[in-house]
Amino acid sequence: MMDVVIQTKKLSKEYVRDENRVTALKNVDFQVPRGDFLALMGPSGSGKSTLLHLIAAMDRPSSGEVLVLGQDLRSLSGRELARWRNAHTGFIFQSFNLIPVLTALENVMLPLKLTDLSTKQQSEHATTALQLVGLEDRLQHFPRQLSGGQEQRVAIARAIVTDPDFILADEPTGNLDAASANDVLMLLAALNQEHGKTVVMVTHDPHAAHFARTIRYLEKGALLSEGEVQQDWVAAAIALPFHSRLVGGSEVPAR
Amino acid sequence: MKIPLAYNLRNLAVRKTTTMMTALGIALSVAILAASLGLVNGLRTVFTGTAHPLQLLVLRKGANSELGSTVPTDAFAILRAKSGVARDGAGESLASQELVNVANLPSVDNPKGMNVTVRGLSATGIEMRSVRMVAGRWFQTGQREVVVGRAVAKRYPAARIGNRIRFGKGDWEIVGVMDGGQSALNSEIWGNFDQISADYNRQDSSSSVLLRATDPAALDAAKHSIEDDRGLNASAITEKDYYESQTSSGAPLEFLGFFVAIIMAIGSGFATMNTMYAAVTRRAKEIGTLRTLGFSEGSILLSFLTESVLLSALAGILGCLLALPLNLVTTGIGSMTSFSEIAFRFRVGVTALLSGFAFAIVLGALGGVLPARAAARKEILSALREA
Amino acid sequence: MNLDLQLVLKNSLRNRRRSMLTIASMAVSICLIGVLLALSRALFYGGDTTPGQAKRLIVHHKIALTQDLPVAYERTIQKIPGVHAVTRLRWFGGTYRDARDPKNRFAQFAIEPKTLFEVHPEFQISETEKQAFILQKTASVASRPLAEKLGWKLGERITLVGGMSPATLELTLVGIFDAPTDNSSVLYFNWDYLRDSLPTGDAIRDMVQQFYVEAEYKNAIAGIGQQIDDAFADSPYPTRSEPEQAFMLSFVSFLGNLKLFLAAICGAVTFTMLLISTNTLSMSVRERTREVGILKTLGFSSGEILSMVAGEATLIAFAGGLLGCVLAGGLCGGIASAMRSAPGFVSVVRGLGFSLLVAALTLAIALLVGLMSSVVPALHAARTSIVDTLQYNG
Repeated sequence: MMDVVIQTKKLSKEYVRDENRVTALKNVDFQVPRGDFLALMGPSGSGKSTLLHLIAAMDRPSSGEVLVLGQDLRSLSGRELARWRNAHTGFIFQSFNLIPVLTALENVMLPLKLTDLSTKQQSEHATTALQLVGLEDRLQHFPRQLSGGQEQRVAIARAIVTDPDFILADEPTGNLDAASANDVLMLLAALNQEHGKTVVMVTHDPHAAHFARTIRYLEKGALLSEGEVQQDWVAAAIALPFHSRLVGGSEVPAR
Repeated sequence: MKIPLAYNLRNLAVRKTTTMMTALGIALSVAILAASLGLVNGLRTVFTGTAHPLQLLVLRKGANSELGSTVPTDAFAILRAKSGVARDGAGESLASQELVNVANLPSVDNPKGMNVTVRGLSATGIEMRSVRMVAGRWFQTGQREVVVGRAVAKRYPAARIGNRIRFGKGDWEIVGVMDGGQSALNSEIWGNFDQISADYNRQDSSSSVLLRATDPAALDAAKHSIEDDRGLNASAITEKDYYESQTSSGAPLEFLGFFVAIIMAIGSGFATMNTMYAAVTRRAKEIGTLRTLGFSEGSILLSFLTESVLLSALAGILGCLLALPLNLVTTGIGSMTSFSEIAFRFRVGVTALLSGFAFAIVLGALGGVLPARAAARKEILSALREA
Repeated sequence: MNLDLQLVLKNSLRNRRRSMLTIASMAVSICLIGVLLALSRALFYGGDTTPGQAKRLIVHHKIALTQDLPVAYERTIQKIPGVHAVTRLRWFGGTYRDARDPKNRFAQFAIEPKTLFEVHPEFQISETEKQAFILQKTASVASRPLAEKLGWKLGERITLVGGMSPATLELTLVGIFDAPTDNSSVLYFNWDYLRDSLPTGDAIRDMVQQFYVEAEYKNAIAGIGQQIDDAFADSPYPTRSEPEQAFMLSFVSFLGNLKLFLAAICGAVTFTMLLISTNTLSMSVRERTREVGILKTLGFSSGEILSMVAGEATLIAFAGGLLGCVLAGGLCGGIASAMRSAPGFVSVVRGLGFSLLVAALTLAIALLVGLMSSVVPALHAARTSIVDTLQYNG
């Protein structure tokens, strides 16, 4: 049996906004095996980001289970969740979310502040991470001195510096131009294939999904079964110059 | 502290204008507090500097000031002969009978006139005080001559050597300026005892008698002996205690200073809260990010609270710096005991500065605690969504 | 214009907490300024006076309060037209029982019984008690606070051992009077009794320290004062006559250079307020830069935007100022009544009133601060180009 990293059972999330009860997720059951690169796709409001946040322990489900690495997230307190997040996950945001007043190196060192490493060791690890993403010459730069693509790469470095079990990315290329987006996606693919990182990426961009191994679709809070694809998406996919791979296989386009 | 201090310091630096404005508000409160403490301290220094540790002031029983006291001349003979009274090199008792009254002179601060203590005393009296002549000479017996203290010469334009001032029955010529160091004596005008007594029709009594004891034990014994002697009808107070009691003259100003400082602190506290709330709102996305990275609510709270305290610490230092120049300022205050003005210098010392700094820190903590809590309590997702 | 006012109001209420905090901080500062202004008025220009006080003059030695005047002056003063009554006065620093107990320390004055109440029309006493005081040489009257403090009843025997004046007085309490605006503890006794108790050769027998003069009309006191001083200008005991208010105020100079001190504090507080309110307003404007851009695309001119920002600042300043004035008024009243039993010159603070003039001045300062604090943010908002504002990302 494949080693399952993430598993959800009848996962549901509802919230109340302006007196309206909104169902973000409805009974989602799925599994993510170790080493997978999963792309979660769907139109806005489909619940893909909500699912990601629940996996990342950034939010609590209304009902159902989230088991990550065998750990039932519901049983953890707020404090424990925070520690768990730090140790096991690396999150990448659409708008990079770097701390403006900290340098690239300091930003990457942030997650390590919660570990027992000495400052020197923290610095070393962060430098290594930044080397990995190709920004070793930008260590002392502040976010405002970096391009969008560079910022996102710093964010990736930050996400991997703790050597997490999996990387979660929420529309990582949403704010980037095509070239930078490509660099970022190739980086994620490399992390997945060469370093064995499990990646879950939320995206609405079929081109980005093309870099993943598995694609799952969400529609109005429900996870569509594997193989099932929303009609509009097929049309969109075919219309693109690069046609998306739907299941299995791996082919990292040459750099 | 898990979240690096650089995060707070740099954020304060980035919002320079806001930081400075908020800090200035707190700084002013701190400065006023330190100034008030400096005023009281300055007064205390002048008064304690005046007193000789072994000297005893004898007044009429019930009088609590030289001005309101009468000691008959025959009592003087008894007092100076008491055992325990020290003697000078020539074998003379160190005992001085003195007449104290008030003259009214126009000053720099008060053109309408301010009261200055006039003291008639003998050469022995001069000997018993640590004053030295800095200009001119001492007054001569039988002459209508006076010597003024250094502060009097400075603050009263009429009190220059060669000038005449009017009190008692007529004019007196100023022949010298004396310096008593850090003491209230710099605010006095001295003349010959007999000459001044005559002017006030007090030939057979003085205001007070000053005695010096040989040692602390003798001082104590003399004090009791004088007070127990019913015939003398006198009370004895150590010079130290007498001057110490006069520090209460600064009480109204001290009270005013504290009142203003506290009210300003309240106002600054609200301003600090405002600034910090704005910072929390502006950095909501950062807070969400930090929480996502794994920082706990507690560390967020601590970080923002620290930022507030850093801000107020900066303000505290600024406030202390604002108050320090006061140490160069000499001013005068009226003593209700001597009914006249005492010149003193502000003394913003270590205690005042530390108090001011502590005050700032407390203010920063109080003003920052609610915004810090708000920061910590933010829901991760809603924080990330804030613009 | 109507729309503008609505917009201004809405903007102010938008970040309610911020507006509330700003109003609170301004209110506190304004309250302080208000109290200080009222204090200045009381200390330097004379605060609220009682009707009796307004017609009273104090005549003392020109050079110093500690120097005496001949009692004979009284006759001359009485003859001056417009003088309703004169009483002579000497402060007697006697010891009552154990002087170490602060309760036993109170003001004692030797005066002329008959004229005391004529000079102090606000003293309320029963006719029988007043007559007893006039007729009995060793009689004395005390203010009610003093009598209550020491538990004195009529007929009480009071012994005062003289300090400055070498005499021991045996007095009987025959009356207790009420002074509605004055809570001080004071004992009055007969000047003739003191005179007779002093040794025959004593120089101060026929000397008094002050005369209290009650004029018939308030406006006459300046003229009367001048006449008194002129009458004795060339004598060996020249006088200075001043209204009671001014006399009390002269003690204020005892507090050192208070005027400078108060002015400096007021200046500092106003400056701080200006900083704080400018700061807050800048924060608001900065946050709404995008809207400013949109408003501009909709056709609002720079001038209109400027006036909207200024309007918001003024509204908040006005609210803060109003609240501050209310607080200051309350605080002044509180201080004034707390100070009613204060001795000496601090009693002048009894006249601490938050008059309309002070209130108006305080409010004016608030509005001025509001206006001035909006200058920088408003100019900034008006000048930013539309493109910049729309691209503004945080």
